[in-house]
Amino acid sequence: MIDVRDVSRSFGRTLALEHVSFRVEPGEIVALLGPNGAGKTTASRIIAGILAPTAGDVLVDGISVRADPGSIRERCGMVTDQPSLYERMTLRAYLAFFCHLYDVPAAAKRTEELAAILGLTDRLDMRLGAFSRGMKQKVAIARGLVHDPPVLLLDEPATALDPETARSLRSFIVSLRARHRAILLCTHDLDEAQRIADRAVILYRGRVAREGLTGALRADLHPRFVVSFTGDVAVARATLARAGVTAEATASENGHAALRFDADEPGTTNPVVLRALLASGLQVVTLVREERSLEDAYFSIVAEARKPEDEHRG
Amino acid sequence: MGKAALIAWREIRWEIFGDRGAILRTGFFAFLPILFVMSGRGVPGGPNDISMLVLALQSTLIPALSGVALIASTFTQEKENGTLVPLLASPIRDIDIVVGKLLGMVVPVMLICAGSLTVFYVLGTLLYGASRVRHALPPEILFALLVVALLYLMTAGSWVLIVAAVVRTSRAGQQIAGLMIGLSAAIFAVLGVAATRIADGWALLGLGLAFVAADIVALEIARRVWQRSEVIGRI
Repeated sequence: MIDVRDVSRSFGRTLALEHVSFRVEPGEIVALLGPNGAGKTTASRIIAGILAPTAGDVLVDGISVRADPGSIRERCGMVTDQPSLYERMTLRAYLAFFCHLYDVPAAAKRTEELAAILGLTDRLDMRLGAFSRGMKQKVAIARGLVHDPPVLLLDEPATALDPETARSLRSFIVSLRARHRAILLCTHDLDEAQRIADRAVILYRGRVAREGLTGALRADLHPRFVVSFTGDVAVARATLARAGVTAEATASENGHAALRFDADEPGTTNPVVLRALLASGLQVVTLVREERSLEDAYFSIVAEARKPEDEHRG
Repeated sequence: MGKAALIAWREIRWEIFGDRGAILRTGFFAFLPILFVMSGRGVPGGPNDISMLVLALQSTLIPALSGVALIASTFTQEKENGTLVPLLASPIRDIDIVVGKLLGMVVPVMLICAGSLTVFYVLGTLLYGASRVRHALPPEILFALLVVALLYLMTAGSWVLIVAAVVRTSRAGQQIAGLMIGLSAAIFAVLGVAATRIADGWALLGLGLAFVAADIVALEIARRVWQRSEVIGRI
């Protein structure tokens, strides 16, 4: 289990993390999201025990990163966005080297096990420099798993992977969750986060902007509806504007013209929309609630976090 | 120290013997001392004891210069390629990484230094006669020469290590190593002149003491700049 407690970290005058707190329970995947420079990599490096926090503490399985970073490193498996391999080594020698660094008993057996799990058995004696980008990323994942750690820190693990490999990687991560691993997934891929993460922590400029279940973050957004109709979009927009509803053109699944609008109180807003459109002679085909994605939630939360800066500039 | 040895072994097996460029560079440095002897440099009728010692010293130390380039490339490339991050994330002590890397450079380069000295000794025996060479280079002097080479390697390696912690690219690291090599070559040349004027034993002893002092300072600074948090903050 990972317990990040009020962690701050500065590099010179730059404050990379400021009073960050969150938890990752065993059997849970938490997505750590945020724009570039938000502090995701710094946070994962502190949790991994390779970067000391300036203030606060991180507990991994109850062990403090300040008191015993060595034990923390034994419990964490880290996968970075770049494979970062020793490319002159063969896969077998590379994994065996990390098995020895982590004091894994029966290194040769473990190496073959991992190669089999990731479908690389026939490449064991090939030099890593000859591997494709996707295969290299698989090797980086195998490296993070050599000691079968209870905590996994994945920093953009699917970067540059083809869709098929990315999909098999997602399945693999989900299978690790089923084995009660605590998994922190730092990613820019919001679709990936929505698919596999249970919760999300959104960082903005080193602070936690929002944290919660991915479903709850999506549900917290203003309800959004899409109305499709036959007729002119510009006329429809102008009609809704006169009725006090701001709408934007969108694509509808049935091929008709469509407008999207937010409705905090659908019971009041939706009848207004329907009446206005019908009164203008437009024929309404469907009115459906749009399912909100984690991406919508992310942009809404980041925009909210950015507001004070924008106001300050304004 | 088991993990330091593991890192050293990986370095030697895969980075030095797996890199043709490194082998060529090292071979070039090892070849130079042989040229020294073969050029018939020295006094007609064979060099005197002091000249013989200077040639032997240069034959031993010049191959050690290749170690400076090796240590610079091994650390800066690790930083540049990001391979240092998984290493730092593993449960090993900071000092194991530093010692392992230094050992990975010192062991093969020392073997080359010893080989170069052996070649010098054999060629000298053939050219100047066994009794002349044995008189000028008794076993304790040969041993002292290897100790000086080891101390030089440790000193130069530690200073390059400090620089490698600060620079961001392997190109910058190599430039610094080049400067260090040039400076060392100049010092070795001055040393040759000094050794012909001072009694041989004192020259070696003085050099050894200077290296030990520089070693202590450099290793302590290297240990500090290569602490995990310091290094990771610069990657």
